[in-house]
Amino acid sequence: MSGVVESTIQFPYKRSLGPVMSAFMTGLRDARLLGIRNGDSVLCPPLEWDPATGESLPNDLVEVGPAGTVQTWTWIAQPTKMHPLDHGFAFALIKLDGADTPIVHAVDAGSIDKMATGMRVAPRWRAERKGHITDIEAFVPGEAAQGASAAPAEGTAAEPVTMMDYHASITYKTPITANQLRTEQANKEGRFLGLRCPACNRTYTGDRGYCPVDATALGQEHEVDLPQTGVLSNYTIITPIQYPGQTETEPFSRIHVTLDGIDVVLGFQSLIDVPVADVRIGMRVAAVWASDAEYVDPDPRWEGRLIGWMPTGEPDVNDPDLVNRMP
Amino acid sequence: MAHHPCAIVGIGQTHHKSRRWDVSVAGLVREAALRAMEDAQMTWRDIDAVVIGKAPDLFEGVMKPELYLTDALGAAGKPMFRVHTAGSVGGTTGIVAAHHVETGRHKTVLAVGYQKQSEGNAQFALGSGRGASLGAGGAFAPYIRAYIHRSKAPMDIGPMVAVKDRLNALKNPYAHLKIEDISLEKVKASPMLWEPLRYLESCPSSDGACAVVFTDEAGGKAAAADGRKPAWVLGSAVRSEPMRFPGRDPVRPQGAVDCAADIYKQAGITRPREQVDCAELYVPFSWYEPIWLEAHGFAEIGEGWKMVEDGTTSLSGSFPVNMSGGVLSSNPIGASGLLRFSEAALQVRGMAGEHQVDGAKVAVAQAYGAGNQYFSMWVVGSSLDPFGK
Amino acid sequence: MAAANAANAAPGANPDDIAIIGWSISPMVRRTDKTEAQMLLEVITGAVEDAGITRAEIDFTCAGSCDYVAGQAFSFVQNIDALGAWPPKRDSHVEMDGAWALYEAYLRLLIGDIDTACVMGSGRSSTADPALIYPMEMDPFYLAPLGVDAASFAAMQARALIDAGKVTERQMAEVAARCRRAAVGNPHAQVAGEFDVDTLLAEDYVRSPLRRHDLPPITDGAVAMVIARADKAKELCEHPIWITGFAHYAESHYVGTRDLRVSRSTELAAKAAGIEAGPIEVAEIQAAFTHEEPLLTEALGLGADTIVNPSGGPLAANPIMATGLVRIAEAAGQIRSNGKRRTLGHSTSGPCLQQNLVCILEASN
Repeated sequence: MSGVVESTIQFPYKRSLGPVMSAFMTGLRDARLLGIRNGDSVLCPPLEWDPATGESLPNDLVEVGPAGTVQTWTWIAQPTKMHPLDHGFAFALIKLDGADTPIVHAVDAGSIDKMATGMRVAPRWRAERKGHITDIEAFVPGEAAQGASAAPAEGTAAEPVTMMDYHASITYKTPITANQLRTEQANKEGRFLGLRCPACNRTYTGDRGYCPVDATALGQEHEVDLPQTGVLSNYTIITPIQYPGQTETEPFSRIHVTLDGIDVVLGFQSLIDVPVADVRIGMRVAAVWASDAEYVDPDPRWEGRLIGWMPTGEPDVNDPDLVNRMP
Repeated sequence: MAHHPCAIVGIGQTHHKSRRWDVSVAGLVREAALRAMEDAQMTWRDIDAVVIGKAPDLFEGVMKPELYLTDALGAAGKPMFRVHTAGSVGGTTGIVAAHHVETGRHKTVLAVGYQKQSEGNAQFALGSGRGASLGAGGAFAPYIRAYIHRSKAPMDIGPMVAVKDRLNALKNPYAHLKIEDISLEKVKASPMLWEPLRYLESCPSSDGACAVVFTDEAGGKAAAADGRKPAWVLGSAVRSEPMRFPGRDPVRPQGAVDCAADIYKQAGITRPREQVDCAELYVPFSWYEPIWLEAHGFAEIGEGWKMVEDGTTSLSGSFPVNMSGGVLSSNPIGASGLLRFSEAALQVRGMAGEHQVDGAKVAVAQAYGAGNQYFSMWVVGSSLDPFGK
Repeated sequence: MAAANAANAAPGANPDDIAIIGWSISPMVRRTDKTEAQMLLEVITGAVEDAGITRAEIDFTCAGSCDYVAGQAFSFVQNIDALGAWPPKRDSHVEMDGAWALYEAYLRLLIGDIDTACVMGSGRSSTADPALIYPMEMDPFYLAPLGVDAASFAAMQARALIDAGKVTERQMAEVAARCRRAAVGNPHAQVAGEFDVDTLLAEDYVRSPLRRHDLPPITDGAVAMVIARADKAKELCEHPIWITGFAHYAESHYVGTRDLRVSRSTELAAKAAGIEAGPIEVAEIQAAFTHEEPLLTEALGLGADTIVNPSGGPLAANPIMATGLVRIAEAAGQIRSNGKRRTLGHSTSGPCLQQNLVCILEASN
């Protein structure tokens, strides 16, 4: 048995540049390349400090390039979605004229045969530039910059670039363990699976692979069925904060359910049809599963087939220790 | 035994804000590091190794940032080490840096903790990009409800802590939140975010960094001879425990109790409430002050809240807690632990400015992380033998 | 500064000497169906059993793993479940290879108040495309937005070496063939067997001048190791394997500011670890790309007498975040099982070998 669950971590990061990178990125927007003086040499791309010693550098920027020399390179025959070009290209260390250290960038040479250490390249500027390293679409063989003339005249320049966007997106395929799969299968059948540690007799939810106290692996032979009724033993009411990917807009409760007759607490469960003002410790609750008609597999709305928990209508349990029962 | 004394001779921090858009990540980290070196009257050349701590890389979207920050921290040609122990990481970073010196293998070590939360979004990162994230407060709210039930503390205790720490923050030039008109009424009128935790009982999300220069006994004594008081590490400890298993008490975590016992033993402390002058504890949510006062033996079980209620933990009280304004006033997560540890050191150096506790000679600092699972703690003193052993 | 132990004293004579007394390496596979915690559970059990102790007797634990490999913030928090950390344990975690977790534990034991530590490294690199993950560890302004990954940097370093006449593509293919031949019989190898160099050289480039065989496989795996202070090591183990030199150094992140034909931080680490005190019989080095082998062996000052990566090295199995600690375990294995007296484990991190760690091991007298 095996399977994978796919999830994508993506986020639009917003980065502040600080003074030196701000000048560099502003230069890119204006189709100019800037380096910074570091003693007798010029560092490009510029840093605020000497990479060898960490000493702060005076903010003494000088224009370099636009052409430069390839010091070393690699050919990428099949680009990824994160690469600047969608066809074969080279990454190269390019020492721009007037600079003493090379910049890393793409070279759009057409084919690997056109690439050579020592070749001369110049930037091909993007038409729409925003102050970002990809304002240079790529370097191209030759001496002349393409796609834009040099910077606009003084006085016409827009505000300096101080921020940059960075969008990261990585899709992960995480394996589902045998225990997780059986727990999911039980869930589809409207059951809670548990695992009992043979060493200490503690019981865990079925998706755990081990007892964390004894560091004992748990498997099918340790499975027990967990009760479907319990007591609300603790809770919180969350006012959702908005962030990319957030799915909630109104305050919602998350409850801890201490299952009947067993030392298992299910944490942060959904409580159904109970206004947040009525949530209270001691409330008797029962699991609610989606009917065959409601259920689609997989269902993004719920944890598998479990919709959540509903009050049973029985009298509350009055036990002052309940609040201490947490997962 | 290779246990050599370790002195703190330089401390620096940034002005913490919700958005430090005037600097890059590296610029932020350097701001703290340069202040620490200035305090230590050192240059990059004097640093033998660098230890970086920060919380999840997803927060800024830079994986293993110690690589990118090597140059900015003058660490080219030096050992560069990266620690990550969740919220306790800043504390652990200080301890790992101190160990570098205590083994005698490194003379002078720079520890740096930082977070630039404005680059990303903590709420997003905590949920790894998924919806309906509980957020840090959501995870801790049930623990706090349990503490309130157990201790029978009045509901005002949390808001009182929130007010006290924000009043202290007004005296700290580096603090993020400066709420001039902070009051009990204002805290209680703020939105309930994670019931029973209100907005103003919760930490902010900050950009910030903290840096500390550690050096050996000779270096510490040389600084002292030069009129620059060092702080001495008298004891340090870390503990971790699993998050979920029947029988664990997440409200009074054993790891926190053990950490305190460990550092007291190392420092020869038998009566912490009397022998320690002040404490800087990791209180991202107001109720954690009484929780930690009890776990660390400053109060009996169930009594910690009384030290809040009667003003004992205020800056003018007999046992001040979170003199800097604490995590409730500034929370660059990866730096937060090191800020606590630094504040304790500033106090025993007599360099805490307006939030100085008069005559502080011994101070405790603590940080914790994940589901009340990771703990780091130290005790620092104005001398290596503050109790005249 | 970091210094090697006194060259003259027999290893283990000083109570501050630290020894490896047990370890366990997981199966190395293209895709595991286990969680990281489950992989760790097994190797920790294996390592403590190998050391002849129990989890309860471990005084300190330190793990190396990476959120971006796991695809989750705070991913290591779940791994604590593998430690049996109840009662609570002295514990730490580095967002670095397990080899650096070993370094932290080594320092922790040098303090002298506790005797044993268990260190780990774990990673499931199979879960996402390395070409998408590894640009994330580059400068977030100038490099990450271009999607330059570790393999692209490695390829640029390989070309710099080729251009300098320090290695040829054929020699690189020979390294791949030799490593994968050596891996035959290594139960922890993922890629092993006989490969014909001419056939390898006929393949297309992945990142020129690197072909598929010049790159490491994508591997899921974990490793755990138990170390102890001298008295405890000698009590528990008939032949402890002594750590007699241990150091790591970083250099500039910006590869353009470095001379890519050398590895200065490796040279620094080797010197600080006292490599010159005697011959190294076997070196297990984290040369994940074929051209890195000659570069690193030169930086380490190794001669033709030194056997390099008899396990097959990272070209046979490359469990990111564990690869370096596996090298140290394999180097220890050469002393335990093959009668070697002095071996070396090496680890690295960052673009073009930005950060390097050297751990020198010696047999008991």
